[in-house]
Amino acid sequence: MVTSRQKKIVTEKDFISVDIGSTWTKAARFVADNDHFILEKRSVVPTSVDYLPNGFFEALKQVDVNVGLQGNDQNLPPVFFSSSARGGLRVAVVGLVPEMTLHIARLAAFSAGARVCAAFPYRLNKRNIGQIEQEQPDILLLCGGTNGGNERYVRENSMALAASNFEGTIIYAGNNQVEDEIAEILAEKDLRFSENIMPDFGQLNLEPARSKIREVFLDRIVSGKGLDTLVTRFGIQPVPTPLAVFNLVEAIGKYRDDWQNFALIDMGGATTDFYSFSDSYHPDSGTVLKGVLEPKAKRTVEGDLGMRVSANSVLSLAESMFENELAQYDLKLNLMSEYIEKLNHNPSHLPDRKNANEMLFDQLLAKACINNAMLRHAGSVEEVFTTSGPVLAQRGKDLRKIDKIVGSGGYLAASDHILNSSVSLQQDSESSLKKPLFPTDFSYYVDADYLWPLLGNLAAAYPLQSANTAVASLKLKQNNHKIKVLNNPALVNGNCCSTITQGAHS
Amino acid sequence: MINVVLGVIGFDCHSVGNKILEAFFVESGFKVTNLGVMVSQEEFIDAAIETDARVILVSSLYGHGEIDCAGLREKCIEKGLENILLYVGGNLVVGKTPPDEVERKFLKMGYDRVFGPDCELEKVVELLNGDLEAKKDCD
Repeated sequence: MVTSRQKKIVTEKDFISVDIGSTWTKAARFVADNDHFILEKRSVVPTSVDYLPNGFFEALKQVDVNVGLQGNDQNLPPVFFSSSARGGLRVAVVGLVPEMTLHIARLAAFSAGARVCAAFPYRLNKRNIGQIEQEQPDILLLCGGTNGGNERYVRENSMALAASNFEGTIIYAGNNQVEDEIAEILAEKDLRFSENIMPDFGQLNLEPARSKIREVFLDRIVSGKGLDTLVTRFGIQPVPTPLAVFNLVEAIGKYRDDWQNFALIDMGGATTDFYSFSDSYHPDSGTVLKGVLEPKAKRTVEGDLGMRVSANSVLSLAESMFENELAQYDLKLNLMSEYIEKLNHNPSHLPDRKNANEMLFDQLLAKACINNAMLRHAGSVEEVFTTSGPVLAQRGKDLRKIDKIVGSGGYLAASDHILNSSVSLQQDSESSLKKPLFPTDFSYYVDADYLWPLLGNLAAAYPLQSANTAVASLKLKQNNHKIKVLNNPALVNGNCCSTITQGAHS
Repeated sequence: MINVVLGVIGFDCHSVGNKILEAFFVESGFKVTNLGVMVSQEEFIDAAIETDARVILVSSLYGHGEIDCAGLREKCIEKGLENILLYVGGNLVVGKTPPDEVERKFLKMGYDRVFGPDCELEKVVELLNGDLEAKKDCD
């Protein structure tokens, strides 16, 4: 469906989408055709870090759109754009009970395309405040209490924040009965109000907090590095890249009957984003749900899982898995540690295709990232024994019905075999009774042309066309792929089917 | 409005009485957070914290109440719910233990009121209103 043909004249059926990443600025020109877009041309140029419009207009030029900052061109096609904004807006979340409001606050921040840099339950103490002052997140999402519920913690936490040097925006999304008081206490801060993320016990209300976070993103990010001039020039606001992708995931779920249970893994140098679209809990699965019912469309971001900038933390997380894997090739862990040391000094390093060791190291890093990201995204079941026999208690999201997984981002876009070879599974003894609710039988696709973020920009305005084009643009890598989740590493050796490793999750 | 948390503790699945209790307490003017059946101590406490409940109403029908209910008071104190009222009712122990002995046992565990399976709900609400009034000064 996606074709590329030469065309010089830009028409009114054209749509331009640009994604300004931290390293690359990508652009694509699409033509609308009933229920889908046709890709006319795409381009990639280095991001002009000091002044973003330079790279932006260069990318446009390469898709035959010759415009500059000035001009009064009448047939300029609509331009949509996103910005990764230094790896995403940093949000600290403050909630009350870890499994309730704090957990929901994290979900809200993630689904808004933010990165959660710190999370605090209950009362903020001096050390917590110190951490907030040091990190200076862009936003602090302050939650706690149902409407008419607990007031004490949000009140006391507001007082602690009022006395702090925190300079970012505070979004209050807690018990609405104390809004007036909070407004008084935090009068000196940049404070905004949203609806309670848990108005009644166990009830999720993510959308208002999500859109507030996006609002702050626009205010704070757009003003820097020339993005504001782009807003004036094209009359449209940018979206955070992960939010654009999230919008696309929702659009696909809404318009594609054949894509009702899927996941997207976007793995970069610093973070691994995991998106899922699937019902969280299946009453026919024979399990009893504990805790909150998670949303159908869910995103989590792991700031410590990535191929380059975060390689060090991946190493410390999955050291013993790496050691076992490398032993099969008669390699020692210190070789891999040296490689990771090299990556620290040169995060843009790409392994030489002829260097088998480096290729292997990258493959292991990728596996550790994917497995840990999936482990944190997925829920688990635990068998508990009752008077009426064993019962399976589910916590978190059930991913077992997921039948399609999409890989995106530099490494996954370029490689075929990430989910294809066997990896030993190590599970710490404490969680050995908990079984992760992973996908077990799925087809694996790759977003090889990096179109999903670009289509994500169009997804809010043209969901049907974006969804169809996104699905058509994928390359199928593996059909009906099966995963076994094994508890005993000894069982894995010599097993030809692939296994998602569980890493040494501490 | 006074917030109350209601649920059937442990691995007990008896849901009929739970629905009756919910309807009754709602009708009596309380804001009820009903956690349903198979509720752990932690879930009772988490719900009570978020909703700022004044009382936790624990039911147990299947005879394992003693082991399920032990330690809830201590956990509440640990989690900062020093002043919360704990009510418990149902078939709390298996066998023919006399009701006053059962009551003594659960009072010792830190429950404020203990009820058998056939108590009058009007009486429970009356006692609750009195206890809440008496607790007012503690808050």
